[in-house]
Amino acid sequence: MESWNLQPARDTGLTPSERFRSVRRESGLLESLAHHFSFTVLRIYLAVAHRFQIIGWQHLPAHGPFIVAANHCSHLDALCLVAALKPRHRERAFPIAAGDVFFQTKAVSVFSAIVLNALPMWRKNCGTHALADLRCKLEEEKCIYVIFPEGSRSRDGRMAHFKHGLGMLVAETQVPVVPSFIAGTFEALPPHRKIPHPARIKIAIGAPLDFAATPNNREGWSQIAQSVESSVRNLATH
Amino acid sequence: MNPVTRERLLGFQHAFDDRVTVVLTLTVLILLLLTPLLIFIVTRVANSTRDKRKELWDRYRSWIWLALFILIPILAGAFWTILAVATLSFLCYREYARITGLFRERTISLIVVIGILLITFSVLDNWYRLFVALFPLTVALIASGGLIPDQPKGYIQRVGLGLLGFALFGSALGHLGYMANDWNYRPIVLLIICAVELNDIFAYICGHVFGHRKFVPNTSPNKTVGGALGAIVLTTPLVALGAHFVWSSTVLDTPVRLLGLGIIVSVVGQFGDLMLSSIKRDLGLKDTAKLIPGHGGILDRFDSLILVAPAVFHYVNYFVGFAAGQPQKIFGG
Repeated sequence: MESWNLQPARDTGLTPSERFRSVRRESGLLESLAHHFSFTVLRIYLAVAHRFQIIGWQHLPAHGPFIVAANHCSHLDALCLVAALKPRHRERAFPIAAGDVFFQTKAVSVFSAIVLNALPMWRKNCGTHALADLRCKLEEEKCIYVIFPEGSRSRDGRMAHFKHGLGMLVAETQVPVVPSFIAGTFEALPPHRKIPHPARIKIAIGAPLDFAATPNNREGWSQIAQSVESSVRNLATH
Repeated sequence: MNPVTRERLLGFQHAFDDRVTVVLTLTVLILLLLTPLLIFIVTRVANSTRDKRKELWDRYRSWIWLALFILIPILAGAFWTILAVATLSFLCYREYARITGLFRERTISLIVVIGILLITFSVLDNWYRLFVALFPLTVALIASGGLIPDQPKGYIQRVGLGLLGFALFGSALGHLGYMANDWNYRPIVLLIICAVELNDIFAYICGHVFGHRKFVPNTSPNKTVGGALGAIVLTTPLVALGAHFVWSSTVLDTPVRLLGLGIIVSVVGQFGDLMLSSIKRDLGLKDTAKLIPGHGGILDRFDSLILVAPAVFHYVNYFVGFAAGQPQKIFGG
C-alpha cells in the first residue's frame, strides 16, 4: 500500500473570516459548485449583454498550472477571463485581486472568495513573501491564476508597462504564461462608471510562453514582464 | 400526510407536553443565566489572567448560541429536529473531510453528501427499511465511486476515509434524527444531548479534582482514570432518573435497564471523545476548526454524541422500540 498521502486542508486552523482572505484557502465541494455556477452565469451574461467573443481558445493549456496575463482597464476584465476558461479549469482558477478593494470588508471578501474564487494581493506593504506564497501554491495545487501585471486599472484605456511581480511567480518554473488581450471592457465599464454598458467585448488569447530558462532574479523578472507585455501588445493588433 | 404526523413534525404547541422536556429546558436556561455569575466569582477568586477570562467568556457566549441551536429545533417540531441533525451531520463531515484531506476527493465526498441527504430523507419519511438499507448501499456506492478516477494508488485510503466519514456522520448521527420519529421525541433527544454534554463536563471536573492516574496518555494526555470513573458515577444516575420519567411503566423502566442506559451514555460518550482525540493526534492537529470561539470546531463540541446516538437508539429499540404507532413512509404512502 502507498504511504499516507492525504494532508489536511492548508487553511486548517484559520477562522472563517481569516480563511476567506487567505492565500492558503482551499475550496470544498460547495464552494467549487458556487464557482462553477457563478462562472457559468457570467459566461451567459457576457454572451448576451456583450456579444462576448474569444479568439485563440485553443491556446489554453489542457490543465493547470498556468497563468493568464492580460491588460487591465475595468472590473469586467477578471470576470471575462475566468468566464473564458474551460469548464474543467474553473475549480482551480483564481483571479488575483487587489486586497484593498476586494478583501477590505468581511462581506466583500466572502463575495470575492465564494463567487469569484479570488485571492488577495495587497498592493501596499505586500512584501516578497506574499508572492512566494502564491508561487508555491501555483505549482503545488496546479492552479490557474488570472493576473493583471499593470498593477491597476488603466484610467484612459491605454495599456501601461507590466510590473515585475509576474516574473517572480514564474521564473525558473515549468508554469506557462498565456498572454491575452481584452478589448471593449473599457467601453463597457470604465473605472469611473458603476453600471456596465452593453458594449462588445473581445478576448484574444496568444500562445503560451515558457520561462523555465529565465533566471529567478531582478533581471529575469523584467525580461519576463517585457516579453509578456510585448506578446499582449501584439495580440492587440489582431 | 395524516394529522398526527403533521402535529409531530411541525406542532410546536406540543413543545412542553412532557414534564421532562420542561425540566431539562428550564435547567439549561437556569444554567445559562447562572454561568456569568459563576465565571465572575471564579475569575475573581482565582485571580485569573486576562486570556483565561477571555476564553471563559468566549466559551460562555458560544454556549448560548449552541443552546439556542439545539433547543429551538427540538422544541419547534420533529421536522426541525431532523433538519438540525442533518445540518450537524454536514458540518461534522465538512470538518472531518477538511482535516483528513478527503475533501480533495470530490467523487467520494459527493457520494458521502448524497448518502447523508438520503439518510435525512429516510428519517423524515420514517422509512426504517430504507434507513437500514442505506448503510450497506452507500458503502457499495463509495467503494464503486472510488474506482472512477481509475487510480488504484490511494484507493484504500480514500475509500476507507469516505466509509468512516459516512458511518460516523451519516449513519451514526442519523440515529439521533431517527429518534424524532417517536411521538414523544423531545425529552428523549434533549435528555441524550444534555447527558452527553454533562458527561464531558463531569469528566473534566472529576479529572481535575480526583485525577492522578493518566488514562490514555498517548491519545489524550489530560484524561485521567478519576475523570472517567467520576463521569460514569455522576452521569449514570442522572440518565437513569430522566429515562425513568420518559419511559415510565414500560419494559425499560426497571432499575437495572435504566442504569444500563446511563452507563451506555457515559462510557460510549467518552469513547466518542477519545475517538476524535485519536483522529486529531494522528493528523497532528489541536482543534478540528476555528468555528466556535472558545471551543474549536463543531466536531470538537459534538464528538461524544456521535457514537452515543446509535448505541442508545438500539438499546431503547430493543426494549420498547421507537416511533411506535407512527405512520411509516410519510411521503411515499
